[in-house]
Amino acid sequence: MTITRTMRRGMVAAVAFTATALLVTGCSAGGSGAAAGDGAGDIDVWALQGQDSENAALQAAVDGFNGSQSDVTAKLRLIASDTYTTTITSTPKDQLPDVLQIDGPTLASYVYNGKLTPISDHVSQETIDNATAGSIAEGTADGELYALAQFDSAMGLYGNKAMLDAAGVTYPTSIDTAWTAEEFETALSALSGSSPSGKALDLNEAGLAGEWGTYAFAPFVWSAGGNLLEDNTATGALDSAASVDALTQVAGWKPFVDSNADSKVFPDGRVALGIGGHWNYPTYSEALGDDLLVMPLPDFGTGAKAGAGSLTWGIGSGTQDGKAAGAFMDYLLNDESVTAMTQANGAPPATKSAFDADPLYKEGGPLALFGEQLANACASDDITDTCVAVYRPITAGYPTVTSQFSSALSAIWGGADPAKALGDAATSIDQNFADNDGYQQ
Amino acid sequence: MASPVSTAIPSSQLTVRKPRFRWRDTRDGVLMSAPAIIGLIAFVAVPFITAIVLSLYNVQADMAREPRFWGFTHYIRLFTDPILSGTFLRSLLNNLVFALVVIPVQTGLALVLAVLLNRKLRGMKFFRTFFFMPVVFPMALVAVIWRLILERGDDGLLNASVSVITGGLVPAHDWLGSSATALGSVILLSIWQGVGFQMVILLAALQEIPEERYEAARLDRANGWQQFRHITIPGIRNTLIFVTLLTTILAFRVYDQVYILIRTAGANEEATQTLLYTGTKAIFSENNLGRASAISVVLFVIIVIITLVQRGLLRQRSEG
Repeated sequence: MTITRTMRRGMVAAVAFTATALLVTGCSAGGSGAAAGDGAGDIDVWALQGQDSENAALQAAVDGFNGSQSDVTAKLRLIASDTYTTTITSTPKDQLPDVLQIDGPTLASYVYNGKLTPISDHVSQETIDNATAGSIAEGTADGELYALAQFDSAMGLYGNKAMLDAAGVTYPTSIDTAWTAEEFETALSALSGSSPSGKALDLNEAGLAGEWGTYAFAPFVWSAGGNLLEDNTATGALDSAASVDALTQVAGWKPFVDSNADSKVFPDGRVALGIGGHWNYPTYSEALGDDLLVMPLPDFGTGAKAGAGSLTWGIGSGTQDGKAAGAFMDYLLNDESVTAMTQANGAPPATKSAFDADPLYKEGGPLALFGEQLANACASDDITDTCVAVYRPITAGYPTVTSQFSSALSAIWGGADPAKALGDAATSIDQNFADNDGYQQ
Repeated sequence: MASPVSTAIPSSQLTVRKPRFRWRDTRDGVLMSAPAIIGLIAFVAVPFITAIVLSLYNVQADMAREPRFWGFTHYIRLFTDPILSGTFLRSLLNNLVFALVVIPVQTGLALVLAVLLNRKLRGMKFFRTFFFMPVVFPMALVAVIWRLILERGDDGLLNASVSVITGGLVPAHDWLGSSATALGSVILLSIWQGVGFQMVILLAALQEIPEERYEAARLDRANGWQQFRHITIPGIRNTLIFVTLLTTILAFRVYDQVYILIRTAGANEEATQTLLYTGTKAIFSENNLGRASAISVVLFVIIVIITLVQRGLLRQRSEG
């Protein structure tokens, strides 16, 4: 008796979710369209629970908004970060709040499911005009603007000046002078020779199989002239010679890469180079001081590229107070709220005015190079040689795309044949798109 | 129920009473078992039937489109699609290898440990606690500790130890990343974590064996091995069967350590993925509810078959 019960209980974990999900899919088919309302009343706001400083900045913005006028009262609800996306995914659209935070890459899937409403009708034109190109690229799906961001993310190559100089390696000081793939490998080889650990690079190897893999390594594919998707098809893009070459090159760095088990290999000065994001900057600059260099990722052929994109804000399709929600978004995206938030988390601001004033990212600031990358942003279906920051594909099929890409990347890193791994990933992605009629409405 | 005195009571009263008594028993029985039965229906029967139904549909989690009836397409794809079946059959194989190694090794090791710890020595409580400790650690913690041990760099604990023992002859090995050793590493840490649990169960059974049997055996000049073979083993037979079945089921449910090692420690995904990992990935990473359901149904069928076969075999022997 005990045995059969234990055995069945094993299945429950996998299966219990399915029942909930079925109920949810059943419900989400219904729902009502957004209404502008009279611009007064209560609005609900859902946000991802971040660091304490971020939560405080957000709460201050909500309090500031409530204090600034008397018609609308915004109520903030913070949801734990590990369940945030699942919560939004499993909430029927008529139960979603008026204003909600969304993880950039998941936007298109919510648009596809009718959970968001275009914001141009509700948010003021000044707010839209003040959004960075990246914020617009990230928030646009099917030609409509659905979301605007308070902040963005930036990533690139960090360097340890003392170690580079000691090894006699010259390094790029601007995006245009980014290392080519060959130069980068020569540098890795030289740095490995002079480093006490015998390694030269940290690329957060442990995270390759997760979202970090797509965020930080798709830029190499883009830089080589490949892509993840072209016209919603992975075959011909993800398995193209350019994409295969790009990941073959990356896998070739493995002998120079420290596995970074203690997460301190770069700030401790055991390797001279580290691929990382803006969130690493506080720790790295504290550890290395003036020796910290910020460089673009290596250029694989069509100019250096970098990952970008973060949380963004949209309006739920079930809202009855679209006007009030828009007023709240206007307040959330004003200089005061954005600056308070980016000071709390160190992220690059996603509004032009706050961005231009940001001491970290403006010209002459320590992260000016990241700022310049974001100033030249584009969407992944419109990549040019001059754009640097590229936003991940905006499609409802993104969950499958990132899952397949990061799995293939981690297999290639583990020694699998790049052409086969990427070919299989492309076929799987296309099969998923075909199963869902290409995610067309 | 009916006392000897009941003969004195008119039969008409009896016939009235008896059914009422039975009805009350039934009612109480139903009431008392209701929480468990409702729980079983709500949390086992309904989800499982739902999974079977869902596995016949093309349904994405959180997708606005209506689920579409697909018949056995998910199952056919799992076993024949050139790419999908590669992943699925590999995770099935990994599960089988894991079970084939873990069941005998972990049960055997637990038995050895239990016998060793059953002696009356000073400080035995300390050793018992010590060997049981890994069971108390959450698998997430265990995976993080073993990640450091199996680190691929020269300063990984295992690599450094191998290097010291062999005088630097053997170069550093990527224990988790290499397809040859990845599953072995997962098996090793799973046994390390799980063996204490089986050990404690077996230890309890060992202490139930009366000391007189060993005394009698010693009078008959039975040596240590003979005592073990003919007194200890038969004495804990039923517990051993239970432990084996439990280990089998746990071996097919292996998930936590695999997920953590693949996602945070760069473990070789192909070599370490299990059925539950593949199923969970289908739903949580790719929103593919239909395929995830099909995988869990297949896993369920496999576990049922193995359990029935095992129980059949073991029951036969106990009757014979």
